[in-house]
Amino acid sequence: MIPISYNLRNLAVRRTTTLATALGVGLVVFVLAASLMLTEGLRRTLSLSGHDDAAIVMRKGSDNELSSTIADAQVGQIASAPRVKKGADGRPLAVGDVVAVIFVDLVNGSGKTNLVVRGVTSDGIAFRPELKVVEGTLPRPGTGEVMVGRKIEGRFNAVQLGGEIELRKNRMAKVVGVFEAAGSSYESEIWGDKDYVGQAFGREGMVSAVRVQLDSPGGFDEFALAVEQDKRLGLDAIPEREFYEKASENTSVFISAMGIIIAVFFSIGAMIGAMITMYGTVANRRSEIGVLRALGFSRTVILVSFLFESVLLSLLGGLLGIGAALGLGMVEFSMMNFQTFSEIVFTFQPTPDILVTALVFGGMMGVLGGLLPAIRAARTAPIEAMRG
Amino acid sequence: MTLVGLSIKNVSRNRLRAVLTVFGVAIALLAFVFIRTTLDAWTGGAEHAAQDRLGTMHKVTFTMDLPRTYFDELDGTRGSVPGVKAATYQSWFGAKHPVREQEFFATIAVDTDTFFQVYEDMEVPAEQLAAWKEDRQGAIIGEALAKQFGWSVGDDVTLVGTIYPGDWKFTIEGIYTAKRRAVDKSQFLFHWKYLNESMKEQAPARAERIGWMTTLIEGSARGAEVAQAIDARFEERDIQTRTMSERALNMEFLGSFGAILTALDVVSGVILVIMMLILGNTIAMSVRERTNEYGVLLALGFRPKHIALFVMGEGIAVGLLGGLVGLALAYPFINGMGRWIEDNMGSFFPYFQIPPHVAITSLALAMLLAGLAAVIPAYRASRLDVIDALRRIG
Repeated sequence: MIPISYNLRNLAVRRTTTLATALGVGLVVFVLAASLMLTEGLRRTLSLSGHDDAAIVMRKGSDNELSSTIADAQVGQIASAPRVKKGADGRPLAVGDVVAVIFVDLVNGSGKTNLVVRGVTSDGIAFRPELKVVEGTLPRPGTGEVMVGRKIEGRFNAVQLGGEIELRKNRMAKVVGVFEAAGSSYESEIWGDKDYVGQAFGREGMVSAVRVQLDSPGGFDEFALAVEQDKRLGLDAIPEREFYEKASENTSVFISAMGIIIAVFFSIGAMIGAMITMYGTVANRRSEIGVLRALGFSRTVILVSFLFESVLLSLLGGLLGIGAALGLGMVEFSMMNFQTFSEIVFTFQPTPDILVTALVFGGMMGVLGGLLPAIRAARTAPIEAMRG
Repeated sequence: MTLVGLSIKNVSRNRLRAVLTVFGVAIALLAFVFIRTTLDAWTGGAEHAAQDRLGTMHKVTFTMDLPRTYFDELDGTRGSVPGVKAATYQSWFGAKHPVREQEFFATIAVDTDTFFQVYEDMEVPAEQLAAWKEDRQGAIIGEALAKQFGWSVGDDVTLVGTIYPGDWKFTIEGIYTAKRRAVDKSQFLFHWKYLNESMKEQAPARAERIGWMTTLIEGSARGAEVAQAIDARFEERDIQTRTMSERALNMEFLGSFGAILTALDVVSGVILVIMMLILGNTIAMSVRERTNEYGVLLALGFRPKHIALFVMGEGIAVGLLGGLVGLALAYPFINGMGRWIEDNMGSFFPYFQIPPHVAITSLALAMLLAGLAAVIPAYRASRLDVIDALRRIG
């Protein structure tokens, strides 16, 4: 084997070229990793809102809470379905929320966007134990007080402690608290009293969707059968986690498809960059290769050595790219969720899988870009090469 | 041989490298043009949208509806609000194809009498329009939608409601074509009355409601005034309205994707950096290999600026060549794909073709970046000392 230090020194000698090529690969790895991290961030934000042992009931045909309505009277019927868990006080754990959207101005005045407003009962708040008020207090039931998610706080006009949000004419909502909910999509919402919100949006006597706590994740089928069997109710039950996975599907497919298309395009460019560099390296070291061959190193060993150098070069770039992508962890990304047409805020979420995938992708560029030059190096005839 | 001729001749010295570099630049350019075309197609919908059409909706959010009586009042403003030429109303129906439910298209319940008076940029053959008005369950669909699902006039179709539950039966009575670029060619339009009558039976609370109203005004200059006059009319009501031009509405919608648009912008910049790295690398390499020759040229009496020009000229020539090859690839590739996108994703991208200014900009950028990438190697080459250069090996 040719020692690894031979390759390392070669890379060090031609610093500018090495750096330029590695940067090219690094940018590709960066773009790929960033888009995968974004998709993962969105998926995680939404899936954190769903629990395995909970189910969500909506009107048949609705695919989101906004377009669904269920009469208050039906909530009791849903709660009495089999496999619904009972609370400490013996009442079934089932809550109905009113969900609507409002149109708000961005703080910097650069536009407007929709935010989800959720009207909940005090049971509804207790139903989500992950919810924690981090500033101010919980809104008092029966009043026009609301609390806002930490992720949207301060991003939109009046969406901050002490702010007054106009739900409709003469229906103001005063922000008294800021809450966290374990990073879930609830943190991009405004929460108020169910009746107050319901009246503001003309939803008196009805809720948008009903969530129930099941006695076990396996209880879903029996519960769903009971709810859907009653044709008069006209309802559909979905496991809560599945509901949120579906909600992120369109947007995350969109982001990852775009990221992958772009990364593939870019990688061709970076691969060619690596190929040019490696061809240059091989041409420059022709006489060296001749000497190596004359010393008795086989063609295979030379091929492997040059291929290795190319992979090393691209892995160097890959590490740079991953490093830069990890730096994005602090950035919050805010965009419209296609499912609800309202704003959702999420972060770039790195996982070991994503980092390994991106690095392997970078390494592959080195293999593909370095293969042809390495073959050329291996086919060098010793005598001619040494003669120059 | 002229200096320019010599520098271009130099490009073909290392054929393999030249071909690879040109190909690399071409691919980068292709990616750049693709991203810019996507951005343009996205924002273009807004820029080409009508300014002489105003939309009036619920002040709080477009997801809430208005009483139908609002339209009667607005329609009555013909004359009382100067500048209103025609008005219509519609409701978002939000139905899906029963089988291919992933494929999104707009389903809208419209007022048959007034819709096409306001939407002058959609054209329907007169006999189809008449037949549609007669048939309560009739629908008029866009040409792209007809192609997507293979529907033609006379077909019976069933859609599944998401907002209005149940199976809804329609008969296709006509197909419209677009007279303006920004028109979504994949809408499904049917009688608001059909929806309203069904609602009266099934859910009386949802009857006599409309999603939004649209007015066509006479002069776009007075758009803001007319919009204010309409909103003023409903100012004291329980439900207030917000009126703005179609273009402003689209711009606002785009704002929601600001983060993605910015990300694409950044990415298109990144591709340019990659392009420059490839070019700079190649140029630096060839300068290094040719140090000897530059020494000879200097010894022959060429001035340092000539050497610099050689290097720059070679770089720009490669950039230009790469740019041209890239464009030659981009046109069939992107426009071909664009046609597919227009047919299948017409709701988002009604028009997806390379805009001329993108093609010109990208070519200019390829040359400019090649020039920039060559600056440092050119400077270095021009600073060479004759003796050193002649002595240097490899």
